[in-house]
Amino acid sequence: MAPDDTRPDRSHYPISRRQFLHRSGAAFAGGMVIALILPEGSSAGVAGADYDWDRHRWVYLIDTTKCIGCGACVRACRAENAVPQGNYRTWVERYEIPPEAEPYVDSPSGGEHGFDPVTTSMNVRKAFFVPKLCNHCKATPCIQVCPVGASFATHDGVVLVDGEHCIGCGYCVQACPYGSRFINPETRTADKCTLCYHRITKGLKTACIKICPVGARRLGDRENPDDPVIEILATSRVEVLQPELLTRPKCFYLGLDMEVR
Amino acid sequence: MNPESPLIHTKHVFRAAILLLAVLIAMVLGRSAFVPKTWGEFGRYRGAAVTDFRQKPIRHGGDESCAMCHDEEYAEHAAGAHASVQCELCHGPVTVHVDLEEGKVLAEMPVRRSRELCELCHRRLAARPAEFPQIDIREHVTDNGGELTDDACFACHDPHSPL
Repeated sequence: MAPDDTRPDRSHYPISRRQFLHRSGAAFAGGMVIALILPEGSSAGVAGADYDWDRHRWVYLIDTTKCIGCGACVRACRAENAVPQGNYRTWVERYEIPPEAEPYVDSPSGGEHGFDPVTTSMNVRKAFFVPKLCNHCKATPCIQVCPVGASFATHDGVVLVDGEHCIGCGYCVQACPYGSRFINPETRTADKCTLCYHRITKGLKTACIKICPVGARRLGDRENPDDPVIEILATSRVEVLQPELLTRPKCFYLGLDMEVR
Repeated sequence: MNPESPLIHTKHVFRAAILLLAVLIAMVLGRSAFVPKTWGEFGRYRGAAVTDFRQKPIRHGGDESCAMCHDEEYAEHAAGAHASVQCELCHGPVTVHVDLEEGKVLAEMPVRRSRELCELCHRRLAARPAEFPQIDIREHVTDNGGELTDDACFACHDPHSPL
């Protein structure tokens, strides 16, 4: 048998393998060159007419002496941002502190369904709620550790995670000293409070601030000279969580206790 | 070529140069393909992500959006002791109920009229600010001659204007 006879008959193929490889290579290179030459797409609207992010610097103020622990903020956040069950972009902690004993801290389901009375024999004489969320730090550890540049801070001071770019490595989740980040089980990427960026850039309050029935949560803008929240920051004694970490949070607290971390 | 000639290595250099050029071209082409278009527009991140965040849907409309149809309840609520309590706190986000742009009703507002709803805010808890109105529901209902049913609160209180 002649060697040629063992080969399958390809005479009916429109082009040979060699031609195919040549042409597809050329087409790929051509496409790349065109992609290189074409003007880059712009994300108009960020600094567009309706919102100038250089004219806002958002801060957040929580008055723990007002919080009643109803959990409305946690529920509103979940509904507004489609936060998966079991994960929290904001949550409420309860501190019950007996004198000369370890404090009792709980946050059942992040406070989403309210709180039951604590049934301990502790002689609690100091108790309060502490709502928590991303502190949108100025010197943020989470952005520092992101290996792909998915975490970033906007000009108006909001720390965001680009879910399209995130590889879900979880470094930022570990780096955040406040536990504000989680890996979203649906997208498998890092997720966190966006300060309702879709709302605040349209002149609305965040969902948690809007829903709070007692005004324990407030949004401030450092670029607004008449802002009442900035006035409070200027005149009252405010604190941040874990100041010793030098993360420079933009989330400020009134009425914190030394036991709160 | 004369093996003594200094040009004997020209071919090698030329080949290395071509190889380098090929690597360079591959790098530039690869970068243009894999780096997002708006990368670096504002910093070391994808610029278009900011627009993506701005375009997320708004789900809570606030009391004003409820007033568009329910002006009676809105007025009653706004004049009552629960004025600072958003409609959506008990009823849920408005966009579950209506498509505000189309003006179309999508679903009923799910609100569970139970004492658990009231207790979210008004159950007596040590951690609540002392000046905030709170009760032990068992005590409160029996003291007022009521029966501790699931919807006991609504026998006396209208949640829109409870006092």
